[in-house]
Parts: sequence; C-alpha cells; structure tokens
Amino acid sequence: MESDSPVSKKSRLFHSVDCVMEEAPSTATGVSQSLHWTQWQILDSILPTGGFAHSYGLEAAMQSRMVSNQDDLRSFVIQVLENTGSLLLPFVYCSSKSPDVAAWVKLDQLLEATLTNEVGRKASASQGSALLRVAASVFTEIQVVQDLRRTFLGSKSVSFHHAPIFGFICGLVGFDSETAQRAYMFMTMRDVLSAATRLNLIGPLAASVLQHQVAPDAERMLQKWKDRDVAEASQTAPLLDAVQGCHAYMFSRLFCS
Amino acid sequence: MAEAATGAVRVEKVRGRSALTRCFARYPLKLIAPSKVGPASCDAVWLYALTYGGGIVSGDTISCTVSVGDECTAAITTQASTKVYKAVDSKCSEQLLEARVGEDALLAVIPDPVTCFSTARYYQKQVFQVCANSNLVLVDWFTSGRYESGEKWDFSFYKSVNHIFLEDQPLFIDSVLLEQGSNCSIAERMQEYNVIAMVVLLGPKLRHIQDKMQEEVKRLMSGQLRPPTSGGSLYTMRSQPPQRPQQPPLVASCSLFGRTGTGVVARVAAVSTELVYSFLRHHLAALELFIGASPYAAS
Repeated sequence: MESDSPVSKKSRLFHSVDCVMEEAPSTATGVSQSLHWTQWQILDSILPTGGFAHSYGLEAAMQSRMVSNQDDLRSFVIQVLENTGSLLLPFVYCSSKSPDVAAWVKLDQLLEATLTNEVGRKASASQGSALLRVAASVFTEIQVVQDLRRTFLGSKSVSFHHAPIFGFICGLVGFDSETAQRAYMFMTMRDVLSAATRLNLIGPLAASVLQHQVAPDAERMLQKWKDRDVAEASQTAPLLDAVQGCHAYMFSRLFCS
Repeated sequence: MAEAATGAVRVEKVRGRSALTRCFARYPLKLIAPSKVGPASCDAVWLYALTYGGGIVSGDTISCTVSVGDECTAAITTQASTKVYKAVDSKCSEQLLEARVGEDALLAVIPDPVTCFSTARYYQKQVFQVCANSNLVLVDWFTSGRYESGEKWDFSFYKSVNHIFLEDQPLFIDSVLLEQGSNCSIAERMQEYNVIAMVVLLGPKLRHIQDKMQEEVKRLMSGQLRPPTSGGSLYTMRSQPPQRPQQPPLVASCSLFGRTGTGVVARVAAVSTELVYSFLRHHLAALELFIGASPYAAS
C-alpha cells in the first residue's frame, strides 16, 4: 500500500511523456513536479506553524510520571498516533475531500465541540490559525485561502482548528485525501518526537531511529482510521486525555500543550 | 427510538412542584421512583434505573427517553454498578438515553460505574438537548472490570458517546472508544489505572460547584506534577536500575467548554473505584441544595 501512490504517479508521468496526447505533456509533468515541491514544503518542519510549541501532552505525562523512559515514550507515541487517527483523521479527510468553505465552517464548529480538553483545543486552534496565516502568505495563487482568511479573521463563530484547516489546504493544493491523512499522521509523530528530544527524554539520533521503527505502526493506523466520516470520530486514549488536561497546572513548563 | 424504547420518563410541574407524569419501563429496564430521597421541602424527582439481574446481557438494548420540563428538577441514578456480561456471539450490550432539559430545569445523571466483564462488548449513547439556561450534571464512568479478582481491561469493546446540543448546535461532542486488538492493548494504555470517569457540569445554577471543582482540582494536581529530577533523563538511565517512579493514584483535570464557557468537564483516572467515589462525593455534595440528597453518599 505504501508504495502505491508514488509508483502510480511515476508511471503516469512516464505515460504522459511517452505518448503523444492532446494535452501538452510538459504541463502535466510540470503540475505533478510542482506538487512534490508543495507537498514537501507543507511537511517541512521549517514551515512556521508553531507545531514545535506543543508536546501533545508529553510534558504533562512526564511530570505525572506516566512517561519516564524510552519504552514509555514509544507507547506514548503510538497512543497519540492512534488517538490522532481515530479523532482527527476524519476531520482531515472530510475537509480535504471537498475543500469547500461552508463545509469547512461546519467541520471547524464540530471539532470545537469535540475537543473538550481545553489544552488540546487551544493548541489545535493556535496551530490551525498559524497554518492558515502561512498558507495565505505562501500560496498567493490560491484565491480561496485568501478569501477564507479575509472573511473569517476575527470571527467568533470559527476557531481555525488544525485538522480541518490542514485538510482544506491539502485539498486545495492537490493532495489526494489519503496523502493528506498520512501527512497529518507524519506531522503528529514528528512533533511529538521533537518535543521528546527537547524534554531530554531521548537523543536526536535515537528519535530518528524510533521514528523509523514506529512508521509501520503509523501506516497501519492510517489504514485503519482513514476515510471515515466525522460522525465516527472518537478518542481512544482517555488516560492521556486526563493527563494532558493537567498541562496548565504545571508550575514550570516548556511547551504550550 | 420512540417505539422501541424500553423506558420513557416525563417530569413536569404539577401544582408548582416537579412531578413524574410519565414513567414507563419494560424488560430489561426497571424504573423506581422513591418519594423520600430528600426532605419534603426539596422539589426534585428521583429515579433509580435498575436492570433485572443487575446487569446487561449480551445482545440486550436498553433505551430510555427522559423529558425534564421547564423549571423542574430530576435525578437519575443506579443502585450499584452496571455489569456488562460476557459477549455471546460477539453481540453488543447497549444503553441509549435521549434527554431533553427544559428552561431553568436541572437534570442530574449520576449513576454508578459500568463494569465490563472479560470479552464483553458495550455501547452507550446519551444525547442531551438543552436550552441556554438548562442545568445538567452528567457523570459517566467505567472500570477495568472485576479488577479485584484480576480481570483488568479484559473486555473486547467499549464505546461511550455523550452529545449535548444547545438549540440543535453541537455544544459538547464526546466519544470514547476502547477496543482490543489495536496497536496498543487497553491494559497497556491504562497502566495502573482501573477507573476512568467524566463529570460534566453545565448551566447557571451549577456555577458555584464548577468554580470550586476547578479550583480544587488545580490545587490537587499542582502538588502532584513536577519535572523529572533524574528519572526522565537519558543520562542517568544507564547507571541506575530502572525503577518506576510513583504515579499519582488519581489524575484529574478540568476544562471549560462552550463558546461562552458555560460548561465544565472534569476527566478523572484513578487506580480504584473508591477514590473516584470519594472524588464525586466531595465535588457533587453541594447538589444536595437542588436534589435534596448528596450524590453517592451511601456508596
């Protein structure tokens, strides 16, 4: 499954170069090539969306002694990914499938009611707002992003939650919805591991090793939870949810969530 | 759901007092409405929801509709924990509740926990329709099983859905799903904890209880949280034998919800049922003012 989409993309590419078709082959190649650059940029940790201000509950889990070594960290990462898959992928999926403003508003409002953990809810809204701001500056060619930002900036009826904004932008730049969902899992794992290194729980090299080891699990979770409707969204880590809610109670902390 | 319902309850004002104007129940549900839970001066209807045999067998569905009229008060509770027995042919046991809470009314759903036996499959969905000034207390909790005899997180499937709609708009959408066979077993996810609880407090009458709970939970947890001194660091791990530092026996956190912050939800995880009973007893004691008795006082 993992290699399916790149392979098919490549073969499509060759195909369009080899055959003489009505469409100009260079345009198709150009579009597909520029999509790669866009994809990598959206996934790049240099994109200033503020993901690195968040530990996804890891800091609170450490301070309550739920996570105190690398084995615990591995289990923590898997639980965060599973929870992301079951709770947030439906929002990424629905908004990437049809990136339409009215549908996005509904998804954003539903997620606002679904994220009942204040710490996680604020983190989601701040990452989503930051992503929209970056996207509006970077993708000036996409009018809808500009319009969305202009229409709803300062609005009290929407919160710009991360998962629906991410799906919305992925859909507009041309990600297929499975890639958008895999990308969301990838970013979540990247950000948790980055937080783990800064919390001195794991070294950067060991974090890369762990990232590679957990990737097959993440792919399995993606296959399990992808393409679901938001009505099915559920959280699967109630203990970590209770712990993450304690983030604001900590006397000293590095992260926002 | 209406025709298939195993229970239907309506509380309305009769001669200025909250009264049970409809109370229907059929197998496997039984509803008891004792009249002497609180003092006569207190205007509240109490209902005990019971099941034959103290639990729900595989394949059974209990569905109940509750309507609490404007300015009425009602409390729904149980006599003991709800047991969910072993699944037969992987059939689910289900409990469904649809409740409407009127203007300035109060509904308290304060049951004992759900205890799923090994291999059990359980699905619960509770939907509440509220008005801007309705008051709702909702306690939803479950245990790892018969953990004192070693049956811990051994059920197959548990899903609990709680939705609160304010004039058809989603206000609180909560869904917890625990299923065996995912990447991480339920027991591994729960570590030493045996009980997960959620307490929702919504509405103007509960403001004082909300504030007090938030403040006390914050104080309780602040004392338990501290940066790892050496345990978490990778540099000390090599020389010291791994020893698991003590986790808090009860973890709790509160969050505001609703755009105007009218609701508070507390999430609790604890190593024992008794710890959660005392948490609930303490934080809900002030409900006595409205419902005439302190929740969980006898538990």
